Amino acid sequence: MANSIHVEGVSVEFPIYENSHRSLKNRMIDITTGGRIAKDLSRHPVVTALDGISFKIGHGERVALVGHNGSGKTTLLRVLSGVYAPTQGRLSVDGKTASLLDVSMGLDPDATGFENIYLRGIMDGLKRSIIRGKIDEIADFTDLGDYLNLPVRTYSSGMMLRLAFAISTSVEADILIMDEWLSVGDAEFSVKAKQRLDEMVGQASILVIATHDPALVSRICTRAIKLEHGRLVEDKPVTKEEPNTVIS
Amino acid sequence: MINFHKDLWRNHTRHNDLWVALMTPHVWLALGWHDIRQRYRRSVIGPFWFTLSTLMMVGALGLVYSTLLGKTLREYIPYLGVGLVVWQYISSVINEATTAFINSGYLIKQARIPLTIYAARVVWRNFVILMHSLPVVILLMMLFGKMPNSELLLLFPGLLILMLQGVWVVLVVGVVCTRFRDVIPIASNFITIAFFVTPVLWPVTQLKERAWIAECNPLYHTIEIIRGPILGTPIHWQSWVWALGLLVAGFLLAQYLMSRCRDRVAYWL
Repeated sequence: MANSIHVEGVSVEFPIYENSHRSLKNRMIDITTGGRIAKDLSRHPVVTALDGISFKIGHGERVALVGHNGSGKTTLLRVLSGVYAPTQGRLSVDGKTASLLDVSMGLDPDATGFENIYLRGIMDGLKRSIIRGKIDEIADFTDLGDYLNLPVRTYSSGMMLRLAFAISTSVEADILIMDEWLSVGDAEFSVKAKQRLDEMVGQASILVIATHDPALVSRICTRAIKLEHGRLVEDKPVTKEEPNTVIS
Repeated sequence: MINFHKDLWRNHTRHNDLWVALMTPHVWLALGWHDIRQRYRRSVIGPFWFTLSTLMMVGALGLVYSTLLGKTLREYIPYLGVGLVVWQYISSVINEATTAFINSGYLIKQARIPLTIYAARVVWRNFVILMHSLPVVILLMMLFGKMPNSELLLLFPGLLILMLQGVWVVLVVGVVCTRFRDVIPIASNFITIAFFVTPVLWPVTQLKERAWIAECNPLYHTIEIIRGPILGTPIHWQSWVWALGLLVAGFLLAQYLMSRCRDRVAYWL
Protein backbone atom coordinates (compact mmCIF):
# COMPACT_ATOMS: atom_id res chain seq x y z
CA MET A 1 0.00 0.00 0.00
CA ALA A 2 1.31 3.41 -0.91
CA ASN A 3 1.43 6.12 1.70
CA SER A 4 0.81 9.63 0.54
CA ILE A 5 0.03 13.17 1.56
CA HIS A 6 -2.17 15.37 -0.61
CA VAL A 7 -2.42 19.04 0.23
CA GLU A 8 -4.74 21.10 -1.95
CA GLY A 9 -5.04 24.83 -1.52
CA VAL A 10 -4.65 24.63 2.26
CA SER A 11 -4.89 27.88 4.18
CA VAL A 12 -4.64 28.44 7.91
CA GLU A 13 -5.81 31.63 9.55
CA PHE A 14 -5.48 32.36 13.23
CA PRO A 15 -7.93 34.70 14.85
CA ILE A 16 -6.29 36.72 17.62
CA TYR A 17 -8.69 37.40 20.44
CA GLU A 18 -6.49 39.36 22.84
CA ASN A 19 -7.92 42.80 23.53
CA SER A 20 -4.63 44.55 22.94
CA HIS A 21 -4.73 43.49 19.31
CA ARG A 22 -8.14 44.95 18.75
CA SER A 23 -6.67 48.43 18.72
CA LEU A 24 -4.56 47.42 15.76
CA LYS A 25 -5.88 49.90 13.25
CA ASN A 26 -3.96 49.21 10.14
CA ARG A 27 -4.26 46.26 7.95
CA MET A 28 -0.71 45.11 7.90
CA ILE A 29 0.71 43.33 4.92
CA ASP A 30 4.22 42.33 3.95
CA ILE A 31 5.96 42.51 7.24
CA THR A 32 9.33 40.84 7.15
CA THR A 33 8.69 37.98 9.54
CA GLY A 34 5.52 36.03 10.15
CA GLY A 35 2.39 35.62 8.13
CA ARG A 36 0.18 38.41 6.96
CA ILE A 37 -2.05 40.05 9.54
CA ALA A 38 -5.52 41.18 8.55
CA LYS A 39 -8.87 41.52 10.27
CA ASP A 40 -11.80 39.20 9.98
CA LEU A 41 -15.39 40.34 9.84
CA SER A 42 -15.83 40.41 13.59
CA ARG A 43 -12.87 42.81 13.79
CA HIS A 44 -10.46 40.32 15.28
CA PRO A 45 -7.01 40.54 13.76
CA VAL A 46 -6.29 37.43 11.72
CA VAL A 47 -2.86 35.98 11.04
CA THR A 48 -2.68 34.11 7.77
CA ALA A 49 -0.08 31.50 8.63
CA LEU A 50 -0.56 29.43 5.48
CA ASP A 51 -1.97 30.70 2.24
CA GLY A 52 -3.18 28.32 -0.46
CA ILE A 53 -0.51 25.65 -0.16
CA SER A 54 -0.69 22.71 -2.57
CA PHE A 55 1.61 19.73 -2.99
CA LYS A 56 1.64 15.95 -3.11
CA ILE A 57 4.12 13.74 -1.35
CA GLY A 58 4.41 10.11 -2.36
CA HIS A 59 6.01 6.95 -1.04
CA GLY A 60 9.75 7.17 -0.36
CA GLU A 61 10.04 10.93 -0.44
CA ARG A 62 12.12 12.83 2.11
CA VAL A 63 10.85 16.37 2.14
CA ALA A 64 12.55 19.34 3.78
CA LEU A 65 10.48 22.39 4.65
CA VAL A 66 12.68 25.44 4.55
CA GLY A 67 12.06 29.13 5.07
CA HIS A 68 12.54 32.00 7.49
CA ASN A 69 11.30 32.02 11.05
CA GLY A 70 7.57 32.50 10.94
CA SER A 71 7.25 31.43 7.33
CA GLY A 72 4.72 28.76 8.33
CA LYS A 73 6.86 25.62 8.55
CA THR A 74 5.75 24.52 11.99
CA THR A 75 2.13 25.43 11.27
CA LEU A 76 2.27 23.29 8.14
CA LEU A 77 3.70 20.41 10.19
CA ARG A 78 0.85 20.81 12.66
CA VAL A 79 -1.65 20.77 9.81
CA LEU A 80 -0.08 17.56 8.49
CA SER A 81 -0.26 15.95 11.91
CA GLY A 82 -3.92 16.93 12.23
CA VAL A 83 -3.63 19.48 15.03
CA TYR A 84 -4.86 22.41 12.97
CA ALA A 85 -7.63 21.70 10.53
CA PRO A 86 -7.17 23.84 7.41
CA THR A 87 -9.53 26.82 7.33
CA GLN A 88 -9.65 26.37 3.56
CA GLY A 89 -8.61 23.64 1.20
CA ARG A 90 -8.28 19.91 1.51
CA LEU A 91 -5.82 17.67 3.25
CA SER A 92 -5.60 13.95 2.77
CA VAL A 93 -3.06 11.85 4.64
CA ASP A 94 -2.78 8.15 3.90
CA GLY A 95 -0.62 6.30 6.40
CA LYS A 96 0.09 6.06 10.10
CA THR A 97 1.51 9.38 11.17
CA ALA A 98 3.91 10.14 13.97
CA SER A 99 4.89 13.69 14.78
CA LEU A 100 8.00 14.72 16.67
CA LEU A 101 7.10 18.38 17.05
CA ASP A 102 8.20 18.91 20.60
CA VAL A 103 10.05 15.96 22.03
CA SER A 104 9.40 16.88 25.63
CA MET A 105 5.65 16.93 24.93
CA GLY A 106 3.70 15.57 27.79
CA LEU A 107 6.64 14.84 30.06
CA ASP A 108 5.16 15.21 33.49
CA PRO A 109 7.84 16.50 35.88
CA ASP A 110 6.22 14.96 38.95
CA ALA A 111 5.81 11.51 37.46
CA THR A 112 8.64 9.00 37.34
CA GLY A 113 10.51 8.12 34.18
CA PHE A 114 8.66 4.82 33.84
CA GLU A 115 5.30 6.53 34.37
CA ASN A 116 6.17 9.03 31.69
CA ILE A 117 6.97 6.26 29.24
CA TYR A 118 3.64 4.67 30.08
CA LEU A 119 1.68 7.92 29.85
CA ARG A 120 3.08 8.72 26.46
CA GLY A 121 2.05 5.31 25.22
CA ILE A 122 -1.44 5.93 26.56
CA MET A 123 -1.56 9.26 24.73
CA ASP A 124 -0.70 7.39 21.55
CA GLY A 125 -3.79 5.28 22.16
CA LEU A 126 -1.77 2.13 22.79
CA LYS A 127 -3.06 -0.73 24.89
CA ARG A 128 -1.40 -1.48 28.21
CA SER A 129 0.03 -4.78 26.95
CA ILE A 130 1.71 -3.13 23.97
CA ILE A 131 3.21 -0.41 26.14
CA ARG A 132 4.60 -3.02 28.52
CA GLY A 133 6.37 -4.65 25.64
CA LYS A 134 8.05 -1.38 24.71
CA ILE A 135 9.00 -0.12 28.14
CA ASP A 136 12.15 -2.21 28.52
CA GLU A 137 13.50 -1.26 25.14
CA ILE A 138 12.95 2.45 25.86
CA ALA A 139 14.40 2.18 29.36
CA ASP A 140 17.51 0.42 28.05
CA PHE A 141 18.07 3.03 25.45
CA THR A 142 18.01 5.92 27.92
CA ASP A 143 20.79 4.37 30.06
CA LEU A 144 19.13 6.08 33.01
CA GLY A 145 18.91 2.90 35.11
CA ASP A 146 17.35 3.41 38.51
CA TYR A 147 16.70 7.06 37.80
CA LEU A 148 13.65 5.92 35.87
CA ASN A 149 12.01 5.22 39.22
CA LEU A 150 12.48 8.82 40.31
CA PRO A 151 10.33 11.82 39.38
CA VAL A 152 11.48 13.48 36.18
CA ARG A 153 11.92 16.81 37.97
CA THR A 154 14.98 15.36 39.72
CA TYR A 155 16.68 14.80 36.35
CA SER A 156 19.28 17.05 34.80
CA SER A 157 18.13 18.67 31.57
CA GLY A 158 20.33 16.27 29.60
CA MET A 159 18.75 13.26 31.29
CA MET A 160 15.31 14.64 30.65
CA LEU A 161 16.10 15.03 26.96
CA ARG A 162 17.40 11.47 26.79
CA LEU A 163 14.13 10.17 28.18
CA ALA A 164 12.03 12.39 25.93
CA PHE A 165 14.09 11.37 22.92
CA ALA A 166 13.87 7.67 23.68
CA ILE A 167 10.09 7.89 24.13
CA SER A 168 9.43 9.96 21.01
CA THR A 169 11.57 7.75 18.80
CA SER A 170 9.95 4.53 19.95
CA VAL A 171 6.97 4.87 17.66
CA GLU A 172 6.63 3.11 14.33
CA ALA A 173 5.04 5.14 11.61
CA ASP A 174 4.63 5.30 7.87
CA ILE A 175 4.77 9.06 7.86
CA LEU A 176 7.22 10.89 10.08
CA ILE A 177 6.78 14.58 10.80
CA MET A 178 9.68 16.35 12.48
CA ASP A 179 10.45 19.88 13.56
CA GLU A 180 14.23 20.11 13.24
CA TRP A 181 16.55 17.15 13.54
CA LEU A 182 16.92 15.98 17.10
CA SER A 183 20.37 15.94 18.62
CA VAL A 184 20.73 15.17 22.27
CA GLY A 185 23.15 14.33 24.98
CA ASP A 186 26.88 13.98 25.37
CA ALA A 187 29.17 12.68 22.63
CA GLU A 188 28.54 9.02 23.36
CA PHE A 189 24.78 9.32 23.58
CA SER A 190 24.45 11.54 20.55
CA VAL A 191 26.10 8.87 18.38
CA LYS A 192 23.55 6.37 19.66
CA ALA A 193 20.75 8.87 19.18
CA LYS A 194 21.76 9.65 15.61
CA GLN A 195 21.81 5.95 14.80
CA ARG A 196 18.36 5.43 16.29
CA LEU A 197 16.93 8.41 14.47
CA ASP A 198 18.47 7.33 11.16
CA GLU A 199 16.91 3.93 11.67
CA MET A 200 13.51 5.43 12.42
CA VAL A 201 13.68 7.70 9.39
CA GLY A 202 14.87 4.79 7.27
CA GLN A 203 11.82 2.74 8.21
CA ALA A 204 9.33 5.50 7.51
CA SER A 205 7.85 5.67 4.08
CA ILE A 206 7.58 9.46 4.08
CA LEU A 207 9.55 12.05 6.04
CA VAL A 208 8.62 15.71 6.31
CA ILE A 209 11.09 17.77 8.28
CA ALA A 210 11.29 21.49 8.91
CA THR A 211 14.87 22.60 9.15
CA HIS A 212 17.30 25.51 8.85
CA ASP A 213 20.27 23.23 8.25
CA PRO A 214 21.32 23.00 4.57
CA ALA A 215 23.76 20.17 5.35
CA LEU A 216 20.94 18.09 6.75
CA VAL A 217 18.78 18.81 3.72
CA SER A 218 21.42 17.53 1.35
CA ARG A 219 22.24 14.57 3.60
CA ILE A 220 18.78 13.05 3.98
CA CYS A 221 16.25 14.89 1.85
CA THR A 222 15.16 14.27 -1.70
CA ARG A 223 13.01 17.33 -2.08
CA ALA A 224 12.85 20.81 -0.60
CA ILE A 225 9.75 22.96 -0.23
CA LYS A 226 10.35 26.60 0.55
CA LEU A 227 7.79 28.71 2.35
CA GLU A 228 7.68 32.47 2.57
CA HIS A 229 4.97 34.37 4.46
CA GLY A 230 2.85 31.24 4.44
CA ARG A 231 3.07 30.78 0.67
CA LEU A 232 4.83 28.02 -1.17
CA VAL A 233 7.53 29.74 -3.21
CA GLU A 234 9.75 26.90 -4.31
CA ASP A 235 9.40 23.14 -4.64
CA LYS A 236 12.36 21.34 -6.16
CA PRO A 237 14.33 18.12 -5.86
CA VAL A 238 17.49 18.24 -3.77
CA THR A 239 20.54 17.71 -5.91
CA LYS A 240 23.10 15.58 -4.16
CA GLU A 241 26.45 17.26 -4.48
CA GLU A 242 28.87 14.64 -3.36
CA PRO A 243 32.25 15.44 -4.86
CA ASN A 244 33.77 12.02 -4.04
CA THR A 245 31.27 10.12 -6.12
CA VAL A 246 31.64 12.59 -8.96
CA ILE A 247 35.40 11.97 -9.17
CA SER A 248 35.19 8.20 -9.04
CA MET B 1 -11.80 19.32 5.15
CA ILE B 2 -9.56 16.55 6.34
CA ASN B 3 -9.49 13.03 5.10
CA PHE B 4 -7.28 10.71 7.08
CA HIS B 5 -6.28 7.11 7.34
CA LYS B 6 -8.49 4.43 8.91
CA ASP B 7 -6.72 4.46 12.29
CA LEU B 8 -9.49 6.25 14.18
CA TRP B 9 -7.43 7.22 17.20
CA ARG B 10 -5.31 9.74 15.29
CA ASN B 11 -7.73 10.16 12.46
CA HIS B 12 -11.09 10.74 14.05
CA THR B 13 -13.16 13.55 12.62
CA ARG B 14 -15.05 16.28 14.40
CA HIS B 15 -18.17 14.15 13.96
CA ASN B 16 -16.96 10.97 15.62
CA ASP B 17 -14.57 12.50 18.18
CA LEU B 18 -17.01 11.90 21.05
CA TRP B 19 -17.68 8.32 20.06
CA VAL B 20 -14.05 7.36 19.38
CA ALA B 21 -13.00 8.71 22.77
CA LEU B 22 -15.76 7.03 24.75
CA MET B 23 -14.95 3.76 23.01
CA THR B 24 -11.31 3.89 24.16
CA PRO B 25 -11.91 3.88 27.91
CA HIS B 26 -8.46 2.55 28.77
CA VAL B 27 -7.01 5.93 27.79
CA TRP B 28 -9.17 8.19 29.94
CA LEU B 29 -9.28 5.70 32.80
CA ALA B 30 -5.48 5.68 32.90
CA LEU B 31 -5.20 9.46 32.57
CA GLY B 32 -7.80 10.08 35.26
CA TRP B 33 -6.09 7.73 37.68
CA HIS B 34 -2.79 9.34 36.88
CA ASP B 35 -4.23 12.75 37.81
CA ILE B 36 -5.39 11.39 41.16
CA ARG B 37 -2.02 9.83 41.85
CA GLN B 38 -0.31 13.08 40.92
CA ARG B 39 -2.53 15.18 43.12
CA TYR B 40 -1.96 13.06 46.18
CA ARG B 41 1.53 11.78 45.40
CA ARG B 42 3.15 12.85 48.62
CA SER B 43 0.11 12.59 50.81
CA VAL B 44 -0.41 9.61 53.10
CA ILE B 45 -4.18 9.26 52.93
CA GLY B 46 -4.49 10.51 49.36
CA PRO B 47 -7.98 11.01 47.95
CA PHE B 48 -9.42 10.41 51.40
CA TRP B 49 -8.42 13.99 52.18
CA PHE B 50 -11.38 14.91 50.10
CA THR B 51 -13.59 12.58 52.11
CA LEU B 52 -12.21 13.94 55.34
CA SER B 53 -12.89 17.55 54.43
CA THR B 54 -16.38 16.59 53.31
CA LEU B 55 -16.98 14.84 56.63
CA MET B 56 -15.84 17.90 58.54
CA MET B 57 -18.14 20.05 56.46
CA VAL B 58 -21.03 17.65 57.00
CA GLY B 59 -20.34 17.70 60.73
CA ALA B 60 -20.21 21.46 61.01
CA LEU B 61 -23.11 22.23 58.67
CA GLY B 62 -25.10 19.34 60.14
CA LEU B 63 -24.95 20.77 63.62
CA VAL B 64 -26.02 24.23 62.54
CA TYR B 65 -28.60 23.44 59.90
CA SER B 66 -30.31 20.58 61.71
CA THR B 67 -31.06 23.09 64.45
CA LEU B 68 -32.15 25.78 61.98
CA LEU B 69 -34.40 23.34 60.15
CA GLY B 70 -35.67 21.72 63.34
CA LYS B 71 -34.53 18.21 62.37
CA THR B 72 -32.77 15.49 64.30
CA LEU B 73 -29.14 14.78 63.46
CA ARG B 74 -30.11 11.19 62.70
CA GLU B 75 -32.34 12.14 59.80
CA TYR B 76 -30.47 15.27 58.68
CA ILE B 77 -26.82 14.10 58.58
CA PRO B 78 -27.34 11.31 55.98
CA TYR B 79 -29.41 13.65 53.80
CA LEU B 80 -26.80 16.39 53.96
CA GLY B 81 -23.88 13.97 53.59
CA VAL B 82 -25.05 12.34 50.36
CA GLY B 83 -26.20 15.64 48.89
CA LEU B 84 -22.93 17.36 49.67
CA VAL B 85 -20.76 14.59 48.25
CA VAL B 86 -22.72 14.54 44.99
CA TRP B 87 -22.69 18.33 44.91
CA GLN B 88 -18.92 18.39 45.20
CA TYR B 89 -18.69 16.07 42.22
CA ILE B 90 -21.00 18.32 40.20
CA SER B 91 -19.29 21.54 41.17
CA SER B 92 -15.74 20.34 40.63
CA VAL B 93 -16.66 18.82 37.27
CA ILE B 94 -18.07 22.18 36.13
CA ASN B 95 -15.17 24.10 37.60
CA GLU B 96 -12.54 21.90 36.03
CA ALA B 97 -14.48 21.85 32.78
CA THR B 98 -13.80 25.55 32.29
CA THR B 99 -10.08 24.88 31.91
CA ALA B 100 -10.22 21.28 30.66
CA PHE B 101 -8.93 22.20 27.19
CA ILE B 102 -6.97 25.28 28.16
CA ASN B 103 -4.84 23.32 30.63
CA SER B 104 -4.22 20.59 28.09
CA GLY B 105 -3.37 23.10 25.39
CA TYR B 106 0.24 22.01 25.11
CA LEU B 107 -0.94 18.46 24.39
CA ILE B 108 -3.73 19.45 22.03
CA LYS B 109 -1.27 21.46 19.93
CA GLN B 110 1.20 18.59 19.68
CA ALA B 111 -0.79 15.65 18.41
CA ARG B 112 -4.26 14.88 17.20
CA ILE B 113 -6.16 12.78 19.71
CA PRO B 114 -9.90 12.97 20.40
CA LEU B 115 -10.71 16.07 22.46
CA THR B 116 -13.35 14.11 24.35
CA ILE B 117 -10.48 12.22 26.00
CA TYR B 118 -9.62 15.37 27.96
CA ALA B 119 -13.25 15.71 29.01
CA ALA B 120 -13.60 12.09 30.07
CA ARG B 121 -10.35 12.40 31.99
CA VAL B 122 -11.75 15.27 34.08
CA VAL B 123 -14.95 13.34 34.69
CA TRP B 124 -13.21 10.12 35.64
CA ARG B 125 -10.85 11.68 38.18
CA ASN B 126 -13.77 13.39 39.88
CA PHE B 127 -15.81 10.23 39.76
CA VAL B 128 -12.99 8.34 41.49
CA ILE B 129 -13.00 10.96 44.24
CA LEU B 130 -16.77 10.57 44.52
CA MET B 131 -16.30 6.82 44.83
CA HIS B 132 -13.97 7.42 47.77
CA SER B 133 -16.41 9.69 49.56
CA LEU B 134 -19.73 8.02 48.88
CA PRO B 135 -19.04 4.72 50.71
CA VAL B 136 -17.79 6.68 53.72
CA VAL B 137 -21.01 8.69 53.77
CA ILE B 138 -23.06 5.49 53.53
CA LEU B 139 -21.09 4.03 56.46
CA LEU B 140 -21.71 7.21 58.42
CA MET B 141 -25.40 6.89 57.67
CA MET B 142 -25.43 3.30 58.97
CA LEU B 143 -23.59 4.52 62.05
CA PHE B 144 -26.53 6.80 62.68
CA GLY B 145 -28.70 3.72 62.57
CA LYS B 146 -30.21 4.19 59.13
CA MET B 147 -29.86 1.04 57.01
CA PRO B 148 -30.11 1.16 53.21
CA ASN B 149 -33.02 -0.83 51.76
CA SER B 150 -33.74 -2.42 48.39
CA GLU B 151 -33.91 1.04 46.77
CA LEU B 152 -30.10 0.95 46.95
CA LEU B 153 -30.02 -1.09 43.74
CA LEU B 154 -31.16 1.98 41.84
CA LEU B 155 -27.92 3.65 42.88
CA PHE B 156 -26.05 1.95 40.04
CA PRO B 157 -28.03 3.36 37.11
CA GLY B 158 -28.00 6.65 39.00
CA LEU B 159 -24.22 6.71 39.22
CA LEU B 160 -23.87 5.77 35.56
CA ILE B 161 -26.11 8.67 34.59
CA LEU B 162 -24.20 11.01 36.91
CA MET B 163 -20.91 10.05 35.31
CA LEU B 164 -22.19 10.41 31.75
CA GLN B 165 -23.76 13.80 32.53
CA GLY B 166 -20.23 14.92 33.38
CA VAL B 167 -18.95 14.09 29.90
CA TRP B 168 -21.29 16.36 28.00
CA VAL B 169 -21.02 19.10 30.63
CA VAL B 170 -17.22 19.19 30.34
CA LEU B 171 -17.38 19.19 26.54
CA VAL B 172 -19.91 22.00 26.34
CA VAL B 173 -18.45 24.15 29.13
CA GLY B 174 -14.90 23.37 28.01
CA VAL B 175 -15.43 24.36 24.37
CA VAL B 176 -17.35 27.52 25.25
CA CYS B 177 -14.79 28.59 27.87
CA THR B 178 -11.89 28.00 25.51
CA ARG B 179 -13.42 30.41 23.03
CA PHE B 180 -14.98 32.91 25.44
CA ARG B 181 -12.68 33.28 28.41
CA ASP B 182 -15.21 35.48 30.22
CA VAL B 183 -17.41 32.45 30.77
CA ILE B 184 -14.88 30.97 33.23
CA PRO B 185 -15.72 33.35 36.11
CA ILE B 186 -19.38 33.22 35.14
CA ALA B 187 -19.35 29.43 35.54
CA SER B 188 -17.84 29.53 39.02
CA ASN B 189 -20.31 32.21 39.98
CA PHE B 190 -23.12 30.05 38.70
CA ILE B 191 -22.01 27.12 40.86
CA THR B 192 -21.95 29.21 44.01
CA ILE B 193 -25.46 30.50 43.41
CA ALA B 194 -26.76 27.10 42.34
CA PHE B 195 -25.57 25.59 45.61
CA PHE B 196 -27.94 27.76 47.57
CA VAL B 197 -30.99 27.33 45.35
CA THR B 198 -30.59 23.56 44.98
CA PRO B 199 -31.90 21.34 47.78
CA VAL B 200 -28.60 20.17 49.25
CA LEU B 201 -28.62 21.85 52.64
CA TRP B 202 -32.41 21.83 52.95
CA PRO B 203 -35.14 19.40 51.90
CA VAL B 204 -37.62 20.27 49.13
CA THR B 205 -40.51 20.18 51.60
CA GLN B 206 -39.13 23.36 53.19
CA LEU B 207 -40.03 25.21 49.99
CA LYS B 208 -43.73 24.56 50.74
CA GLU B 209 -45.90 25.98 47.93
CA ARG B 210 -42.78 27.08 46.00
CA ALA B 211 -41.55 23.54 45.50
CA TRP B 212 -41.51 24.20 41.76
CA ILE B 213 -38.19 26.03 42.29
CA ALA B 214 -36.65 22.65 42.99
CA GLU B 215 -38.84 20.66 40.61
CA CYS B 216 -37.65 22.74 37.66
CA ASN B 217 -34.00 22.49 38.68
CA PRO B 218 -32.22 19.71 36.76
CA LEU B 219 -29.45 19.74 39.37
CA TYR B 220 -31.99 18.72 42.00
CA HIS B 221 -33.07 15.69 39.99
CA THR B 222 -29.46 14.76 39.24
CA ILE B 223 -28.74 14.69 42.98
CA GLU B 224 -32.04 13.03 43.76
CA ILE B 225 -31.34 9.91 41.69
CA ILE B 226 -28.30 9.27 43.90
CA ARG B 227 -29.71 10.51 47.20
CA GLY B 228 -33.02 8.67 46.93
CA PRO B 229 -31.58 5.16 46.54
CA ILE B 230 -29.06 5.66 49.35
CA LEU B 231 -31.54 7.09 51.82
CA GLY B 232 -34.10 4.52 50.76
CA THR B 233 -36.70 7.08 49.83
CA PRO B 234 -38.57 6.27 46.60
CA ILE B 235 -37.63 8.48 43.66
CA HIS B 236 -40.36 10.30 41.78
CA TRP B 237 -40.56 9.21 38.17
CA GLN B 238 -40.14 12.88 37.25
CA SER B 239 -36.57 12.73 38.52
CA TRP B 240 -35.69 9.89 36.15
CA VAL B 241 -37.36 11.71 33.27
CA TRP B 242 -35.48 14.90 34.08
CA ALA B 243 -32.15 13.13 34.49
CA LEU B 244 -32.47 11.07 31.32
CA GLY B 245 -33.88 13.99 29.36
CA LEU B 246 -30.98 16.16 30.46
CA LEU B 247 -28.55 13.43 29.48
CA VAL B 248 -29.97 13.08 25.97
CA ALA B 249 -30.32 16.82 25.42
CA GLY B 250 -26.83 17.38 26.78
CA PHE B 251 -25.22 14.82 24.51
CA LEU B 252 -27.07 16.22 21.50
CA LEU B 253 -25.79 19.68 22.38
CA ALA B 254 -22.26 18.35 22.92
CA GLN B 255 -22.34 16.49 19.61
CA TYR B 256 -23.60 19.59 17.82
CA LEU B 257 -20.86 21.73 19.37
CA MET B 258 -18.17 19.19 18.55
CA SER B 259 -19.37 18.88 14.96
CA ARG B 260 -19.24 22.64 14.63
CA CYS B 261 -16.22 23.59 16.71
CA ARG B 262 -13.99 20.59 17.39
CA ASP B 263 -11.50 21.62 14.72
CA ARG B 264 -11.47 25.22 15.92
CA VAL B 265 -10.52 24.47 19.52
CA ALA B 266 -6.80 24.19 18.71
CA TYR B 267 -6.97 27.67 17.15
CA TRP B 268 -8.52 29.16 20.28
CA LEU B 269 -5.89 27.88 22.68
